[in-house]
Amino acid sequence: MTKPRVAIFDLACCEGCQLQIVNMEDDLLNLLTVIDPVEWREAMSDQSTIYDVAIIEGSITRQADEIKVMEIRQRATYVVALGACATMGGVNKLKNNFAIHDVKKTVYGEAANMPHLDTFTVKALNEVIEVDFEVHGCPIDADELVHVVKCLLSGQTPSAPTHPVCVECKMAENCCRYEYDELCLGPLTRAGCDARCPANGFWCFGCRGFLPDANFTAAREMAAEHGKSLEDLESKLALFGSK
Amino acid sequence: MSIKKVGSAEFKGWVQSLIKKHTVYGVQAKEDRFAFDVLDAPEDLRLDYDVTILPPKKYIQPQKEVLLTFDENGVFESVMNEESFLILGVHPYDMVAISQMDKVFTKDNRDEHYMAYRERATIIVSDVQTASKDVFAGCMGTSTGEECSGHDVLLTLLADGSSLLEAKTEKGEALLDLIPNAAEPHEGDLEARSAIWESNRKELRKHELHVAPSDLPELLERSYDHPVWNEKSELCYACGSCNLVCPTCYCFNVQDDFNWDLKSGTRSRCWDSCMVSSFAKVAGDHDFRPLAAARYRHRYYRKGKYVPDMIGEIACVGCGRCITSCTAKIANPAEVYNCLLEKV
Amino acid sequence: MTITQEVSTKVKDIYLPEPATVLDSRLLTEAEIYLRFKFDDPKPHDYKPGQFYSVTIPGIGEAPISISSSLTRCEENTFEMVVRKVGNVTNALHNLVYGDKVGIRGPFGTTFPVDTAMKGRDLVFICGGIGLVPVRSAIHHVLDNRQDYGDISILVGTRTPADRLFVSECEEWSKRDDVNFLETVDVAIARKPIWTGPVGVITTLLPRLNLDPAKTTTIVCGPPIMYRFVLMELRKLQLPNDQIYLSLERRMKCGVGKCGHCQINGKYACQEGAVFKYSDIESTPEAI
Repeated sequence: MTKPRVAIFDLACCEGCQLQIVNMEDDLLNLLTVIDPVEWREAMSDQSTIYDVAIIEGSITRQADEIKVMEIRQRATYVVALGACATMGGVNKLKNNFAIHDVKKTVYGEAANMPHLDTFTVKALNEVIEVDFEVHGCPIDADELVHVVKCLLSGQTPSAPTHPVCVECKMAENCCRYEYDELCLGPLTRAGCDARCPANGFWCFGCRGFLPDANFTAAREMAAEHGKSLEDLESKLALFGSK
Repeated sequence: MSIKKVGSAEFKGWVQSLIKKHTVYGVQAKEDRFAFDVLDAPEDLRLDYDVTILPPKKYIQPQKEVLLTFDENGVFESVMNEESFLILGVHPYDMVAISQMDKVFTKDNRDEHYMAYRERATIIVSDVQTASKDVFAGCMGTSTGEECSGHDVLLTLLADGSSLLEAKTEKGEALLDLIPNAAEPHEGDLEARSAIWESNRKELRKHELHVAPSDLPELLERSYDHPVWNEKSELCYACGSCNLVCPTCYCFNVQDDFNWDLKSGTRSRCWDSCMVSSFAKVAGDHDFRPLAAARYRHRYYRKGKYVPDMIGEIACVGCGRCITSCTAKIANPAEVYNCLLEKV
Repeated sequence: MTITQEVSTKVKDIYLPEPATVLDSRLLTEAEIYLRFKFDDPKPHDYKPGQFYSVTIPGIGEAPISISSSLTRCEENTFEMVVRKVGNVTNALHNLVYGDKVGIRGPFGTTFPVDTAMKGRDLVFICGGIGLVPVRSAIHHVLDNRQDYGDISILVGTRTPADRLFVSECEEWSKRDDVNFLETVDVAIARKPIWTGPVGVITTLLPRLNLDPAKTTTIVCGPPIMYRFVLMELRKLQLPNDQIYLSLERRMKCGVGKCGHCQINGKYACQEGAVFKYSDIESTPEAI
């Protein structure tokens, strides 16, 4: 079997998801025995023009990004969106709640009109190109990436969990954040993270995106039940740009 | 089988000797709740607990369990638990649940993976010292050490701080032998224990069930189209919390994982939940139970009718965990079954 | 119950697949592949029409697949299947070629009652789409024991002419004068393959039957949507519900009545089905 040529790209992001890959330790070495990395700015200097799998981290915030991902799409057999910025827009998408002019002014001040600071409405990868697989999370869970890679290498279609974080949270025997009257987004959010935040005493921030059949009616009622306002809930729901 | 009476210091010494001899899982504090975990020191044991987040089932049917391995030629081999262990402080209702699992997993097709854990488990049941806020075991006939079976030792804390230890099996007898000079209980001690049982039958009723458990199958038989299923499930997150904390839920999913050679690997099973949306969906996406209301109803039918039809026991032991863990507050079995009694 | 302290070292693991080898594979349509297997263990393996095996591709997973062959015309220890591409396991089954290994558990489930309730009766087989696959096993069995049964009608409905399964066998059955063979397709707009037969859903074939409700037993298998309509037509023909047998598909993970996925209300499809007598499930709301 020839090893698939894999390229990793980044757009607007903190590169934390790629850092998760670098931090895979033993699994990284194993990964390198089955794939052929041909382009990865964070870890190597080579560049390539054709690849079997393109992994893209980050969200699209500029015209140039759009052109870049369209080019990548043309060269890659599979495109994998890596992390919340790529799958949903991520925290970057908060920008879309304000006028672009105000955003630039606030962030860049006097320099706002410099051409290299050009920026527009934030988009997730799938708003611009067809994405074959999504690895959710902020940051991603390295084990899930391993799962996706193994699926692709063995001819399977990987699929993300279709049940909420509560499933994994209960299995981990965490104390439910609602017992502390916190607004946890676990019941609405796609699992796959082993409920890492609740396991460490935080509510779920919803970084893996909401399930297609998430019960927002219940979320609103339960927010009220726990003494939280609708604004509290809405602001939490907006954090990662999930729909 | 013998009954011993031990003082608190003696009891502590006994737990210490158990820890020395066995892998002991005991109840301990976890944040503001309780959980079974590996017990390193007698001081960590909290038999005054109200209820654990997960039932002790997790040691007999683990959350995730490797069933098989396969090698690079695709040849499968069974993986069976070989470790013996001791669970210390199981509440009677959880013991009833374990006995039910024993029936389910041995009926017709005997599940050796389950039995490999079950047969290597030594179980010490502890009568409840603190009632949890949602327990209704008193309504289900599962509230005392008198009402469960299948355990090796029954432990009851008496008002004077001493404990009664009753061996139920040979294995249990051997554990009691670890206390060299344990006293025989007096008549009065046994009466005190009976009084505790009597009191627990009344105390462990934080919710009232207005139907005799044995009448539940018949009640459900005529309640299939009751409006309660739709009404309650409108707020259901389909998050599976009620399933996952339930001591009598045992449905599982099966999954293969490759090793890095992409040839060899493992097949494992993990807890599944009939409340989550994908539970009855087949490849090709046809869903045989697509509505949350139907899944919600299915769960109450499993507890009150389907499993009872199979094993002859009501598959709800009244631990109340589902009530506590349901974020949407729709999962109170007593309340749901009571609703069914109302005329529509 | 009592738990024995002794743990036997030789236990039967109900989850352990046994190896079998692919003898033959060929595409019947774009989405359906025919596969023939032989168990590696020479000890006799018995199965009955209507049963299924759980088939494993190591690392990809396991899926319940209906047996399509009958031991009346199969070499010892071999069996046949037809698999539609719908997920990872079935996709992998499509890649199998001669000599490949799979894992098998089973056979599981109930059977079409070829040796009991169907004996001496007039038979009507109603097969929609891939429903022909398990029913073929029963058809082979009764045709190979033709003298044991009365009149035999085989009704086959397929989406389009290109989706037809076992085309040459259907041709054979249609030529037999001891079989009443009727076939239809839902739509026939494509130019190839040429279709000159009836067009319409499978229920349109039923009024053409001239059956005696007192003497007839019916076998029905098809996609979930089909059953309700076929059962309506059978009621019109006054067929009693205890003479109708249905094979129902469900999600299955274990095949041994444990995992819970296949439950139809209180019934485990892997144990009490997949073949059900209609009178046993007519008041089971989740069945049809």
